[in-house]
Amino acid sequence: MSAPAVPSGTDFGISIDDVDLSDRTFWAQPPEVKHAVLDLLRAESPFAYFAEPVIPYLPVGPGYRAVTRYADLEAISCRPDLFSSGAGAVSIQDMPPDLNEFYGSLISMDDPRHAKIRRIVAKAFTPKILQGLVGSVQAVAEDVVAHARRTAAEGDGTIDVVADIAAPVPLRVICDLMGVPEEDRAMVLQQSNVILSGGDPELIESEDNAVAAFLQAGELLAGLMTRMAVERRARPTEDLTTALVNAEVDGERLTDQEIASFFILLLVAGNETTRNAISQGVLALSEHPDQRDRWAADPGLDRTAVEEIVRWTSPITWMRRTSTQEVELSGQTFPAGTKFLLFYAAANRDPAVFADPHRFNLGRDPNPHVGFGSKGPHFCLGAHLARREIAVTFRTLFEHLPDLEVVGPPDRLQSSFVNGLKRLPARLAR
Amino acid sequence: MTRVEVDRDRCISSGVCEHLAPEAFELDDDGVLQLLPAEPDPAVVAEAVRACPSGALTLADRAH
Ligand code: HEM
Ligand code: SF4
Repeated sequence: MSAPAVPSGTDFGISIDDVDLSDRTFWAQPPEVKHAVLDLLRAESPFAYFAEPVIPYLPVGPGYRAVTRYADLEAISCRPDLFSSGAGAVSIQDMPPDLNEFYGSLISMDDPRHAKIRRIVAKAFTPKILQGLVGSVQAVAEDVVAHARRTAAEGDGTIDVVADIAAPVPLRVICDLMGVPEEDRAMVLQQSNVILSGGDPELIESEDNAVAAFLQAGELLAGLMTRMAVERRARPTEDLTTALVNAEVDGERLTDQEIASFFILLLVAGNETTRNAISQGVLALSEHPDQRDRWAADPGLDRTAVEEIVRWTSPITWMRRTSTQEVELSGQTFPAGTKFLLFYAAANRDPAVFADPHRFNLGRDPNPHVGFGSKGPHFCLGAHLARREIAVTFRTLFEHLPDLEVVGPPDRLQSSFVNGLKRLPARLAR
Repeated sequence: MTRVEVDRDRCISSGVCEHLAPEAFELDDDGVLQLLPAEPDPAVVAEAVRACPSGALTLADRAH
């Protein structure tokens, strides 16, 4: 099979002067268009400057640099002393202090605080502990897939890959991990959607209310977690919440506030990311049936296939860093306080690192993608869990829904931060 | 022979090395990285050193 010709920005009539990465609608376009633009930036303007998107009630900041080359991205990521996460890693704007209360967790923290908290939570996320959870991920995937089969049979034979498969698997896995009661799970899904909507109008009623909606979501989730922390102190169980309330490093434990913030981080970092890897993995397999057949026939391909899905989909498009002093990158100088968006989606298609970068190749090896983050202390805490969930879900799909067929175009999330699908219609032929 | 060293102050217990070379690396119950006595494939160990996100691993080549 020959790889499809890769269009460049100019093939879409795009000139670099017309590109605005801060325009939300840009991000709802098909991946070919977005990647053509990122290719153009990487080749012609690897630290392109953009003004910040305007969000009502938040001060407009100084703008940011879009980092699109793999080598520059790595150089920034591995120097947390020069490029801080503490000013905010997941938003272009600096976080208003009242949001920091709920969202100021690990991911937007610097040393020494980051190192301490990370050591505490890492104890609960080692490959060995996660190995013990394989059975439960398998059970969740089988249950979800059986439910999707029933939904199709009772309806018109169609399902939504997002709502019926990709969303419930990671949500149930995290809720199982944390021990979230059944009756609270619908709220957890809804509020984590609000938090990671990136302000998509469908998920947040009015853009004016984005900050209020965020705050409310944080309060609801923190309330649940505080309640659970109290319960687990009184009656310990085997779940992660119990491990977190008891985890101790150098005699220090997490406060209730820190546990609540971490829970919110796990929900948002662990749900939408894995969900979008799965839904867009299904889409990619339907667009590359030869690759799908190859993987379905060969479980030995699981390891490389999962990495390629993460590289291909790059569910987190960027993370932010802010320079702590004057810095030099590839011969260019930037003042202290410069915001850099690390475009993982662009680095993951950098031809300097990946041969034939726009080819979806489940056997790609080596595959040093940065979908889980590049070098540095913030590397994705849930990478092993995510890999496991993706591998198990696809294996379960191959076994139980071999007749799954994508029947309509995906509905894309309007967010620069999360590369996501809102819906992906499919039919079960049997 | 190829020997690997770990700087435990830098290690973030990411488990990346264990994922790549479970015969050589293991995070113990406290999340502290242990080097296993096995004699692993030097290429795999070199890959783990390269991939370690925190730069905690170094290769120390020892001539015997
Ligand atoms: C395919 C799925 C996933 C992708 C693509 C992904 C991606 C990322 C990225 C890009 C980072 C930021 C690295 C940085 O700032 O340098 C990150 C951090 C993080 N991820 Fe993931 N992630 C995924 C799944 C998960 C899961 C399942 C969990 C937890 C259950 C999780 C928990 C976290 C946490 C807690 C952090 C912050 C770590 C820190 O700052 O020390 N992620 N992830
Ligand atoms: S890869 Fe590096 S940071 Fe991760 S556990 Fe191994 S030594 Fe520690």
